[in-house]
Amino acid sequence: MLLEVKNLNAGYGYLQILRDVSLQIDKGEYVGIVGPNGAGKSTTMKTIAGLISPMSGSVVFNGEDITGLSGSAVAKKGISFVSEEMNLFVNMTVQENLYMGAYTIKEKHLKNERLDFVFELFPRLAERKKQLAGTMSGGERKMLAIGRGMMSNPSLMLVDEPSFGLAPQLTTSVFASLEVLIKNGMTILVVEQNVTKTLAVTDRGYVLENGKVGLEGNSADLAEDSYVRKVFLGV
Amino acid sequence: MSKNIVADLTAWVRTAAGLSMTIAVIVAIAATIHTGPYLLVNTIVTGGMLALVATGLTLMLGVLNIPMFAHGEYFMIGSLTAYYIFTPISEFILEHPDSWLVTFGPFIAILGALIGGAIAGAISEKLVFGPLRRRSTDNWVMNSFLLTVGLSVLLVNLHQLIFGADFKGIVGYWQGMPISIAGAYISLDRALAFIISAVIVALFYLFMTYTRTGMAIRAVSQDITGAEIVGIDIEKIVLLTISLACALAAVSGGSLLFMIPSYPSVGLEPLYMAWFVVILSGLGNILGAVVGAFMVALLKVITVEYVGAGWDFVVPSALIMLILIFKPSGIFGSDVRGVLDK
Repeated sequence: MLLEVKNLNAGYGYLQILRDVSLQIDKGEYVGIVGPNGAGKSTTMKTIAGLISPMSGSVVFNGEDITGLSGSAVAKKGISFVSEEMNLFVNMTVQENLYMGAYTIKEKHLKNERLDFVFELFPRLAERKKQLAGTMSGGERKMLAIGRGMMSNPSLMLVDEPSFGLAPQLTTSVFASLEVLIKNGMTILVVEQNVTKTLAVTDRGYVLENGKVGLEGNSADLAEDSYVRKVFLGV
Repeated sequence: MSKNIVADLTAWVRTAAGLSMTIAVIVAIAATIHTGPYLLVNTIVTGGMLALVATGLTLMLGVLNIPMFAHGEYFMIGSLTAYYIFTPISEFILEHPDSWLVTFGPFIAILGALIGGAIAGAISEKLVFGPLRRRSTDNWVMNSFLLTVGLSVLLVNLHQLIFGADFKGIVGYWQGMPISIAGAYISLDRALAFIISAVIVALFYLFMTYTRTGMAIRAVSQDITGAEIVGIDIEKIVLLTISLACALAAVSGGSLLFMIPSYPSVGLEPLYMAWFVVILSGLGNILGAVVGAFMVALLKVITVEYVGAGWDFVVPSALIMLILIFKPSGIFGSDVRGVLDK
């Protein structure tokens, strides 16, 4: 078990969003969390990534308890978070952004190896390496955010809303790049509003509603589930 | 090809930054021809030191969103530290005029000021800014501003209580003949003060541009969440930034001790001047602050020369009002996102 989240309760200030959320991810799995707006999908991600400290519950990563660690400490353990807002360094070039992604790696040659790997994965970023991140289009920024998340050679990637604010064909290409990462042996937890798309590509899925895990199972089964079809797919 | 360069140059001159820099250079040359090169020398020495204080202020504002109104007090701490280090050294020099301290003593005092400022900055973060940040970051700009004003009053009065209100000055750092450049005589102290500030500003720029830690500081200033998720320890970077900013002000105070003696409220003038620079060049713009520092210094020197010594605050203040009315983002601020917009 790579990541085990048990009975997680979390929220903002006095407002509790997550209620007893539990989930598990094995190494090499592609797992999706789907659910409507305000279900607590992003909150789950932020809590695992250490940006929100949980009220109770535990997060165990690689057999190590990481509950309540700061975001930078979680990043050092090998979890990389690609946030919905991307949080790029807009006044830095593409290459500088990528190097910042490898901040936890100290050796220069290892950083360059990672950089070559990311450039191979996203040739588009290699073409634009001298461009400022703030001047790129939405799809390119998303690629850069995912590429930056790859730079630290993480064992788990948390990807929040990869299709957020993107045109449909760009969404397809972003999902295709995640597919390539999975083929390279990466473990990915992805959060999405686009239920059809997510359940089509992932291995397993969790359905989050009102801060609780409503359903869980193989993505293919979930896509066939009559409740999911009725509520999310409208068929 | 050359036509392109000319076209680029004219386009640049027509921007706010280009226009004001061109005017500044023309004014500087005209005034130098009219009154003499000492005017240029004064501008360069004052500007170099002002650049140190202003980059520190920019750093506090750009990285930490703290409108620092206690920055002058770190200038004061620097000059006080340098005074108490250099006084015994100069007594020793009087008895042993051949000692190596004649040359290197002043450097020890200035280095002491730098270290003193860095330590004072770190203590302020631990005792003042850190606790506020951990408690709440709501309404951060206003709260931290009020905190810095309080810190300023506290430090000024601590100086008065412990060291007294009298002037603590020295005759000079380096003895020796003034250097003559194009008919202007520059004392060794002034020349070295400028060299020190130029070297530090250059080192600081290289540090911010190329080193891992410098890039982490820039990353924090651009997106603090992004910095956290790539694994940058925010607390460590904040501590480092505050002590760096305070050290820059302190080294300026230390190396200007031969001109400006230390007394409790000595920091007010550099503080106001540095704020003029920061408003002129745009909040949080480090390179702009260096250029802006020389422009404000020029304005001050010209005012003293042509209008009168009592007017050296009036003219820059009037200019700042005009800038705030017509170009609130500052003259170099057009392509830089305002820090306070975040």
